[in-house]
Amino acid sequence: MPRSAWSDLPSLFSQLSFGAPWIAAGLAVLPVLWWLLKVTPPQPRRIAFPPLRLLLGLRNEEQTPAHTPWWLLLLRLLAAALLITALADPLLGRAPQVAGDGPLVLVIDNGWTAARGWEERQGVIADLLRSAGTRAVAIVPTATDAPVTLLDAGAAGRQARELAPMPWPGARMAAAAGLARARFGVPPQIFWLSDGMDDGSALKFQAALARIGSVRIFAPQIGALGLLPPVRDGTGFQLTAIRAAGSGAQEAIAAAIGRNGETLGDAPVTFKPGETRGHGHVALPLEIRNQTARLEIRGQDSAGAVQLLDSGGVERRAGIVSAATAENEQPLLSDVYYLERALAPFAEAQEGTISGLIARHVSVLLLADIGKIGGSDADAVNKFVSNGGVLVRFAGPRMTGGTDSLVPVPLRVGGRYLGSALAWDKPQKLAPFAAASPFNGLVAPDEVTVSQQILAEPSAELSERSWARLSDGTPLVTARQQGQGWIVLFHITASPAWSSLPLSGLYVDMLKRILALSSGTPAGALAQLSSLAPESMLDGFGRTIPAPAELLPIAARDFARTEVSARHPPGLYGAKGVENALNTLTAHDALLPLTLSGQFRYGEVHSLALEPWLLALAAALLCCDGAIALWLRGYLPNLRPAAAALALLLMMRPVHADEAANMQAALDTRLAYVVTGLADVDDMSKAGLTGLGYALRQRTSYEPEAPLGVDLARDDLSFFPLLYWPMDPREKNLSPAVLSKIADYMRLGGTILFDTRDLTLGAVRGDNNPGQQTLRRLTAGLDLPRLEPVPADHVLTKSFYILRDFPGRWDGGQLWIEALPPEAKSGESGPARGGDGVSPVLIGGNDWAAAWAVDAEGRPLTEPVPGGDAQREMALRFGINLVMYALTGNYKTDQVHAPALLERLGHK
Amino acid sequence: MTGFSPLQHEADGLGAGLPPLMVAADRLAASVSLGVHGRRRAGIGENFWQFRRYQNEDAARIDWRQSAKSQHLFVREREWEAAQTVWFWRDGGAGMDFSSGSVSKKARAELLLLGLASLLVRGGERVGFLGGGERPAASRLALIRIAHSLLDGKKRAETMPPNIAITRSATLVWLGDFLEEGAIETMRGLARAGISGHLVRIVDPAEEDFPYHGRARFESVRGSNSALFGRAESVGDAYRARFRAHGEALSDAAMRLGWTCTSHRTDHSPLHALIALHAAIGMV
Repeated sequence: MPRSAWSDLPSLFSQLSFGAPWIAAGLAVLPVLWWLLKVTPPQPRRIAFPPLRLLLGLRNEEQTPAHTPWWLLLLRLLAAALLITALADPLLGRAPQVAGDGPLVLVIDNGWTAARGWEERQGVIADLLRSAGTRAVAIVPTATDAPVTLLDAGAAGRQARELAPMPWPGARMAAAAGLARARFGVPPQIFWLSDGMDDGSALKFQAALARIGSVRIFAPQIGALGLLPPVRDGTGFQLTAIRAAGSGAQEAIAAAIGRNGETLGDAPVTFKPGETRGHGHVALPLEIRNQTARLEIRGQDSAGAVQLLDSGGVERRAGIVSAATAENEQPLLSDVYYLERALAPFAEAQEGTISGLIARHVSVLLLADIGKIGGSDADAVNKFVSNGGVLVRFAGPRMTGGTDSLVPVPLRVGGRYLGSALAWDKPQKLAPFAAASPFNGLVAPDEVTVSQQILAEPSAELSERSWARLSDGTPLVTARQQGQGWIVLFHITASPAWSSLPLSGLYVDMLKRILALSSGTPAGALAQLSSLAPESMLDGFGRTIPAPAELLPIAARDFARTEVSARHPPGLYGAKGVENALNTLTAHDALLPLTLSGQFRYGEVHSLALEPWLLALAAALLCCDGAIALWLRGYLPNLRPAAAALALLLMMRPVHADEAANMQAALDTRLAYVVTGLADVDDMSKAGLTGLGYALRQRTSYEPEAPLGVDLARDDLSFFPLLYWPMDPREKNLSPAVLSKIADYMRLGGTILFDTRDLTLGAVRGDNNPGQQTLRRLTAGLDLPRLEPVPADHVLTKSFYILRDFPGRWDGGQLWIEALPPEAKSGESGPARGGDGVSPVLIGGNDWAAAWAVDAEGRPLTEPVPGGDAQREMALRFGINLVMYALTGNYKTDQVHAPALLERLGHK
Repeated sequence: MTGFSPLQHEADGLGAGLPPLMVAADRLAASVSLGVHGRRRAGIGENFWQFRRYQNEDAARIDWRQSAKSQHLFVREREWEAAQTVWFWRDGGAGMDFSSGSVSKKARAELLLLGLASLLVRGGERVGFLGGGERPAASRLALIRIAHSLLDGKKRAETMPPNIAITRSATLVWLGDFLEEGAIETMRGLARAGISGHLVRIVDPAEEDFPYHGRARFESVRGSNSALFGRAESVGDAYRARFRAHGEALSDAAMRLGWTCTSHRTDHSPLHALIALHAAIGMV
């Protein structure tokens, strides 16, 4: 929109024109509208009123329409006036005039340099086509190869709208040649909508156009900027940007963008007056530099202002193999957790098997407490190390029992305990790192102590192979070179079990230095490709798009010489993970300004259609009017609280609502059920847990508040020790995110009671029962522990009441629970076994919620079958036992042992 | 079991809302009886009234034990034992469900009714709900029956008391808003049958104060009739005058028949209304 229009009102009106002026005559109906609005009263409020009889016949002298506020009338009239004016198709500004009656030819530069200001260009094209009227029009883009054809205005408009800037430079002479081949009866009027750049052939092109018809040239006010390939230095990227005109100082912002579109860093690029090259420097730490996928100049939105970076070759991938099984693993005690956290800033850490990780071209292989590398794995690791891989091993309980040959130094069997109850020594601190050690320069903090380690056999090489030692001289980290690679051994665990090193920043620094030893992803992977297939492309605006199927791959040996063109657009070529970048600009490119006589600026000829703006304004006014009318009628009882509430809702809703729910869940220990979204099932769950809550209040010291429904996708599960989850065939499958949330919940100590409600849903129990099928469907992606029917001596049978079976609404059926560790063979067996912690899952099908369920007056909702009230009592007892089990865990196991212990003490 | 179960279910359903109402009414009555404790005259509810000298009447009435203590013959005279029977009626019409605040007129009427009945039962009077089907009784069972009659909404949604023959000299306590036409006629009919009564006019504050303004359409509770006002506040004064006149007309008519009429706003404490009502019935 021309800025001068607003500062100079008279000229604003002189610039205003109407596409359909006769519609403006509609403004004449405004007085009628005024009268109509005055006499039409608003809809009254409706009030039910018992003493109406007394109101009937009262005189109703005053009427409300007289009180329609003048400003409301004005508002409505304004909206109507805007509507009428908008329909009259007003235009602001002067569209370029097309003289003569010959055909119109639009030569449009659509190389990457035209991307900046493309919207404005489209506006000018639309203006020109509008003023062309019924004349034939030809559109000739310079970067797209298309035959020149004469079109009517409608078809030309469609073609113009589809026109987009291309990510490669335009070829003007080819376009001129195409235009020269076309036959025009009358010499056409040619408009050259240029990008303001001279590709070296501008003068020749102008002359070629002048031979065909009369030419008018348009150029943008500000030319595009380009970004040349960056130069890596020690601290980041040195950037060079180019511009066409060398006048004045100019500054732009260049940014480094990561793989997922996140901005990693940015810096200004400055042009000195008179210079066409500007310089800047984006400083990035090494590990962040490696994640950079592209560099771009902000606000340019063109392919030339983007430099894609090669991917692969710089990133180091680390593979982690752990001996511990995934299930029952508590994250804060696991080796993998600490390794992943320590590696995350520098490398992409993957978990897997040894052979699998080597196949995935990891450069560093970390083995946490793998005692012996078996069979073919040993050969694979041997080869991996010899080819330049780094093998990092951590000691652990398994390694104390002997190890294989892939260690830097021979090891003694058995560990060394420092500072334990049976050892003389205190936990040892770290000695300063030797000068020959790769860790030289790192500072060992005082608080890092080692309480357990494995020892190396004394040998001649031991001292030179030790990278880190304890203060008493025993090696802590040893390493040995094998082939091009390294074998490194930490004589402690990767988790803080044996030492506090994994908790310190030193651990991260040590791993970082070890990573630097590796050669990285073998560049050979790229060399093996004979041709590079397009992976992803840039469009003219510099956005990444998937590669179109028809693009041809580039032969690998030609890649360095390939120039960007329509055949080979800029983008990433290669295979997934190892991609080379083909960029629009190379290091030697420069831009020249278009300096021809008789150039027009786009801004001078552009007109603005006011219709959409006026329509939007009228719609907004009508919305306002609707709200005011509601308020006047009394439907919005009080505008201020409502507005405040609305504002509050808009600003705070997500945070506030969540917090309120979380506070509710956190301030009391509550029973909770999974909201299935099925009203009947959810109501029953709620009623069931309410009934169980009553029983708990009456009989135990745990007094739960009202139960809460938990939406698995949305709510935080960590507040609830126990979740009740009824199965129903109508339940929807769970998303992977929800599944992992449930897995986390179970791993971190939560307990879920799955109720397959066998006889409620089907006639018989068993695999074909709908409830059990639902359970299998929903938990298919879930890592459940090994289950067993609840054994007779399980703590669940004794945690409050002594129970033999677990009836609900139905009796019979099996209740499954996490399998306990096998009973100790030696010694007398105790009265109850509980295992460690609480079973994360219980599965049964007796429809317990229905047995527990009570209505608002505390009366049971269903009749347990076959046992009636006695069975309901047993169901409640099971519920109480379950809640006690979930809340107290194996504490109750110890409790049932207490009498035995006391008795034993008494005997002695 | 199958034959019994529906009945029990029905009874449970009936009883579901009962405890809260009964508890509220009992609580209300308990706080009243503290205040009027001194009013309970000695001898109420007991058989013995006085001994008097024998005067040539049926010899069977002589109290020999007392007579043996002296030279004269005595007759044991009992208190006049005809306990008062108090019938209750409350207007169950749709208009009574109206509430501008938290309490509907019907809820307040039922609370007052049960509270008063509870007080009367404690004083030994017989109470019953008009049209309830049971005989009036002076026991807690009677209270429960009344409560059931109140909750049995479908049958008791009538405005006017049913035309059931009740004993002369019984007392009727009639709670309602008396906004329907015909209330005074019904009252006359009852008075003609020798029934004395108390009207308790339950008034919602919005009905008395008329706090409405702006353009509003007032509709009768059944939606059959309506009145539209451009500015409701402009008819406020006229309406309030009419409403006052309506109340005065009602109490005039009641007074002329020897009945009493008290007014109770639902935003006022039910306790005061109950004390006043109890005092009024005690005076009859």
